[in-house]
Formats: sequence, structure tokens, C-alpha cells
Amino acid sequence: MIQLFHVTKYYDGCLALSDISLRIEKGECVLLTGPSGAGKTTLLKLIFGAEHPDEGQILVQNRNIARLGGSDVPYHRRTMGYVLQDFKLLPQRTVSENVALPLIIRGLSSFESRRKVLEALRAVGMDHKLSSIASVLSAGEQQRVCIARAIVNSPIILLADEPTGNLDPQLTTEIAALFKAINTRGTTVMMATHNRQVVEQLNGRILRLDCGHLVSDQGVYT
Amino acid sequence: MKRLWYFIREAYTSLRTHRTSTLIGVITTAFTLTSFGIFLLLYHNVHNLLGQVQHTIQIIVYPKNDIESGKLHDLQQGLKTDPAVDSLTFISKQDALTEFKEQFPEEVYLLEGLGESPFPASLILTMAAKSPTTDMIGNLVNRLQHHPDIDRVRYNRDWIERLTLIIAYMEFGALLVGSILALASVTIIAITVQLAFHTRQQEIEILRLIGATSLFISIPYLIEGAILGAAGGGMALGFLRGGFELFTQNTQGLNVFGGFSSALEFFPLPLSLILIAGGILLGCLGTVTTIYGSLRFRL
Ligand SMILES: Nc1ncnc2c1ncn2[C@@H]1O[C@H](COP(=O)(O)OP(=O)(O)OP(=O)(O)O)[C@@H](O)[C@H]1O
Ligand SMILES: [Mg+2]
Repeated sequence: MIQLFHVTKYYDGCLALSDISLRIEKGECVLLTGPSGAGKTTLLKLIFGAEHPDEGQILVQNRNIARLGGSDVPYHRRTMGYVLQDFKLLPQRTVSENVALPLIIRGLSSFESRRKVLEALRAVGMDHKLSSIASVLSAGEQQRVCIARAIVNSPIILLADEPTGNLDPQLTTEIAALFKAINTRGTTVMMATHNRQVVEQLNGRILRLDCGHLVSDQGVYT
Repeated sequence: MKRLWYFIREAYTSLRTHRTSTLIGVITTAFTLTSFGIFLLLYHNVHNLLGQVQHTIQIIVYPKNDIESGKLHDLQQGLKTDPAVDSLTFISKQDALTEFKEQFPEEVYLLEGLGESPFPASLILTMAAKSPTTDMIGNLVNRLQHHPDIDRVRYNRDWIERLTLIIAYMEFGALLVGSILALASVTIIAITVQLAFHTRQQEIEILRLIGATSLFISIPYLIEGAILGAAGGGMALGFLRGGFELFTQNTQGLNVFGGFSSALEFFPLPLSLILIAGGILLGCLGTVTTIYGSLRFRL
């Protein structure tokens, strides 16, 4: 599903990732941990096609991301969902408009789009706030909407970068449970997090980065 | 369908949130197109005038004195089918003599004893009003002058050459002024769109995040530019129309243009539409120049 071969990434000559090789199978739940600046975000961005590796190859569903042309990147991204720490919703739009955006981009019919939006919102428990304006939602609600937007296209891979970073412990547990549920339904989840609670709750494979090096790769957290 | 709705709404929202810069963009475009339109209007009318004057232009062709009647016939046929020629009148030597006698009855004694008519035969050509390119006339005259059966060609050279010159200057001027103003307008529209673009960086980032192509992201801005341009074009057309009416009303009694003032006319519909299309083109161009650089950022 996702394979990295000796991937190295520099930012202006500064090493961010060094010689990373790994293989992630379909349906896995992968947790990226490590101190700040370790390269977690960088690794996710590389897989997402938002950055290019300086060395090495990245295969996502047998497609070489390192060689992807600029115009292919959007289509690559449509096969994935990406959830960020700061929610990135259109503040003036309603919940359903926000969630429908990926479907509009793909040119889906209104009917099908409405069905999928409702389904995604139901999965995150936000179907009762369909027509609320995004900016009035609470932090936990906003993050749920973001997750709904990320899964509305039924992505094969769901990437998340500190999705609980701005949430209190109670909400963190709820959001982590959502990711767990999404993973259980067969979506490959790859999440960067510092949060010990989330790591324990998700109970997945743990990749530990430190200063751009992959220092450990454990099947299950102990 | 849903996409189209999305694009239009985005463009509308953007135009509304940047009312001041939208207004500036529209006014600049209107100004550009008005200035250009004044030129176009002048050009259009001078061209019209040329068409009218052209019709009064006569070319007088004198065939060689000893020309055979067969060759004279060929010459006439050739001229009749020439696209620049409207009508052709043949005046024989005898006709010329008769005409002279009619016009100057007191001078007839001068011709006594000459026997045959001393006047050369001639062909009088009037020019077609349609497709009045001075080049065509110049070419025709040139050809006739080198024709083996023709002695001499006479025509009112002044008019043609002066008008040709005016037209050439106007074409050059319109091109120069038009391109400078167009550049200004494109720049202003580019700035307007850029403003919209920058304040919506967050939104574009989100679109990138969910896999929107550059085209998808830029279409609302293209629509925005086109609307700006079209509004500018429409406004310019209004200015021109108003100015034109004012001008013709004020000059009607004065007869400053030697009677030509009444012949002044506004753009026909196609030219008006071209002006608006020009506005749209400027608007899109402004957007494209903005977006081309800005869309290359990453997530
Ligand atoms: N756009 C950039 N330009 C320059 N340097 C960058 C850029 N993005 C990241 N870096 C650097 O690359 C290194 C890895 O950054 P990255 O964001 O991947 O770390 P991280 O593990 O996600 O950290 P955190 O836990 O704080 O989010 C850091 O040293 C960072 O300063
Ligand atoms: Mg990070």
C-alpha cells in the first residue's frame, strides 16, 4: 500500500528525514511518534505529495509519488484524506458545504453528493448539525467535520497530523475512537501524534522518529 | 452542474467582499476601453468617410490615340470586372468634342479647320464605395499606368493620399494607445484579482488539501476577471454612447465638418460587442497573469 525506499528530505540543506525505508500494508493503523521536529509532518507530507523527497522513492498504491508530475498530484490526493491539527474549514460555510467540497471537486451529482455527505457526517456523529456555520462550532465539532470531509470520498488512506493537538482529553478520546472506528472499517490510518493516550487507545503499529531517523518500529505498543 | 453553481457563487462572493478594488478594476477597464473606443469611433468614421469620398473619386484613363477597337473593348471589359471599379463611362473623341462645344460655345472657333476631333478618347471610372481600401486604388492606378494600350491616367491624387495617410496614422495610434491602455487595465485587474487571491489563501490551501486541480481553483477567479472586464466594457460603451450623442448634438448646427457631421455614426452592434469582448479578454488576461505565478505553491 505505502512503501518508502531510502527516503531522504532536506529543507534548505537542513536534514528533515534521513534514509527512511518502511512498508505499510492495507488496513494498518500506524502511529508516528517522536519529539517535536523529528520529521513526522514531513513524512506525512511526502506521502501526500505536498513535498518531494530529495533521495529515494515513495510508492503509494504502486504509484511512484516521487516522480509524480505537478498536475497528477491533485488526483493522487483524492485517494487520500488528510486531517490537520488546525481544522481548516471554510469558516463562513455550513457543515454540509464543507464536507461536500471534495465531492464538488470530483464533479459528483447533487443527489449522490448529499447521500455521501450525510453518511460521512453520521459516521462522525455530526449529522444533526448539517446546516450550522462552521465557525460557530466547538473545537471538537470542527475536528469531527474535518474528519467527515476527509472520509467523504471513501479514501483508501487517511493521514492525520496531530488531529487531537487542540483538544482537551475528553474530546481527544472521542476523536481517537473515531479514527479507530474508521480503521476498523478497513481504511489505512497513519497518524502523527505526541499524545500517549491516543497511542494507547488506537493500539496500532508505532513508528518512532527522532531527528529525521526512524529509531523504532513496533507492532503493538507495550 | 453543482460545480458551475459553486464557481459562480465563489466569484460572486469574491467580488462582493472586495467592493472597492472591484470598483477600481471596473472603472480602470472602462477608462481603458473608453479611450480605445474613442479611437475606434474616429477610425470607424474616417473609414466611412473614405467610403463616401471614394465614390466621388474619378480616375480618368486615356487610351493610346491609335488603339484598335478590339483592344479598347478588351480594356473596357477588364476594367468593368475589376472589384475596385464601380462604374465605367466611355467618352469617344467625338463625345469629347461635343461636350467641349456645349460647355464653351464661344471657343468653338478655335477648333475650326481641324477636321477630326483633337480631343483624346477617355474612360471615366468611379470607385466602388464598398471595400474602399486605398491600396486597391493605388494598385489599379499603378497597373493602368503600365498598361501598353494606355497613354495616361489622371486622378485626384490628393484626396486619396491624404486619407491613406490619415488612416495609416490612426491605425498606428490606435495600436499604440490601445496596447498601453490595455496593459494598464490588465495590471489593475491583476491586482484586483490578486487581492482576492491573497485574502483567500486559506481557502485555496483547503482546496489543495482535498485534491483540487489548479484549474478548478482558478475558474472562480477567471469568472471574476471576466465579470470585471465585461462590466468595464459595458460602462465604456455607455460613456461612448453618451459622449457621442453630446458631440453630434452640439456640432449639428455648426457644420464644422463640411456637412460630414451628419454622416457620423456610432458603432454598429458587432463593434459594440467586440468592445465588451475586449473587456472580458482583458479581465481574463489579468486573472491569468495573477494566477500563473501564485498557484505554484505547495500545501
Ligand atoms: N517548510 C519548511 N522549511 C524549512 N524547514 C522545515 C520546513 N518544514 C519543516 N522543517 C524542518 O524540518 C524538521 C522536521 O519538521 P517536521 O514538521 O516534520 O517535524 P514534526 O515531527 O512534525 O514536529 P512537530 O511535532 O513539532 O510537529 C524540523 O527541523 C523543521 O524545522
Ligand atoms: Mg508536525
